[in-house]
This record gives sequence, structure tokens and C-alpha cells, in this order.
Amino acid sequence: MDFDTGVKLAVYRHIAATARTPTVDEVAESVRATPREVLEAYERLYRNRVLVLESDGATIRMAPPFSGVETQHRVRIGDKEYFANCAWDALGVSAALHAPAEVLSRCEQSREPIHLRVREDGPDPEPCVIHFAVPAALWWKDIVHT
Amino acid sequence: MLFFRSEELVDDWCRAQGVPKRPLVSLGQLWQLAVAWYESRLSPTARRPGPDEMRAIFARIGLEGPFWDPQSDRFG
Repeated sequence: MDFDTGVKLAVYRHIAATARTPTVDEVAESVRATPREVLEAYERLYRNRVLVLESDGATIRMAPPFSGVETQHRVRIGDKEYFANCAWDALGVSAALHAPAEVLSRCEQSREPIHLRVREDGPDPEPCVIHFAVPAALWWKDIVHT
Repeated sequence: MLFFRSEELVDDWCRAQGVPKRPLVSLGQLWQLAVAWYESRLSPTARRPGPDEMRAIFARIGLEGPFWDPQSDRFG
């Protein structure tokens, strides 16, 4: 396994276990590298569209489907609550962790809560639709907006 | 990608935001996208799908056309 994959897995495993993004020092300790080496890996992972970083280059804004900041899409699995980046990622948290989940989100227009029960074979039926505002070719032009 | 209770509420939101209405995806389709994109995300061998793979995934669940083409120049 190459170094960048090790860093990526350390990030994702930390989020899975704690429901929060790790610090650079935590990742460095996990992969037995220096913080500088981890930051260099972060930059490559960003260029490869694996992580989205804040402007400091060290804080993880997105490790899709997970969000590093609070969002309107909360995903409860067991005793943990994760934040997802969008509707797609809200279901993606359950898919990534291979675990049933409760998705707590909202209708963007009416602001009515939307509560989804996601089982291992998918969400229970619920009256809702998902609007994709940005075409696939432009998703990474501004991934935070997307 | 946002949740709405109904297509009518999507219409209201697009009018209020002054943005074009774009494709709607069902909850079942969204789950298939979530599985295709993320089920191996914590695996050492996971990687992002390439453009051809993306087109195939979208087509398999009924999402076709330039909107879903990751290399389309019609939305540049």
C-alpha cells in the first residue's frame, strides 16, 4: 500500500471511529510519519479529488461522504452522529460504513424535517425527491457548492 | 444535491433562487449512486470511478444525457 493510500485510510478510519475529522498530528501518528509528510500527502489527495481541504491546507473540509463541518444532513449510526456533505453523501455514509442509519435532513424549500431510515439494502420509502443543481462535468469546479 | 418533499417544492425553490430546474433523482436512484460511489471507500483498493465508469453507473440507474456526462462541454 502506498503512503497516500495509508494517509487516506487513516483519515477515513478515524472519522468512522469518532465521527470527526482527525488533526494532522493524529494522522501522522497513525501512519508513523511527520506532519509535513502528511500535509504533502493531503495536497496530492486533494489534487486527486479524494479530500477537500480548508485554505490552511491542513483542515479537512470533506472526506466524501463525510463532512468536516456541521451541515443540515446528519447521519446517525449506532451511538455516533456524522455530518454529510449533501443528500447523496447522506446515504453514502451508510453505504461507506455498511451499516443501517437514520438520516436527519430537511426539505430545502419547506424546511420540513426529512427523516430517512436506511437499512442495509437501502432507505425505506419516503415521499421525497433529490434535485441535482450542478451538472456532473462541473461538480469539482466548486465541490463545496455542489 | 438537496432533498425536497415534492417536485412542486423543487419548482418553488428554483423560482425563489432564480436557478434552472435540473434533473430530479428518486430515493432509490440516490441509494444506488451512494452504493456505487462509496461502498468501497474505506478499502485500500478503493478509487474514484473514471469518466467511462461514471457514465456506465449513471446509465445503469437511468440517468442519461449531457447533464450526467462528466466530460460534457454543454454545461461549461
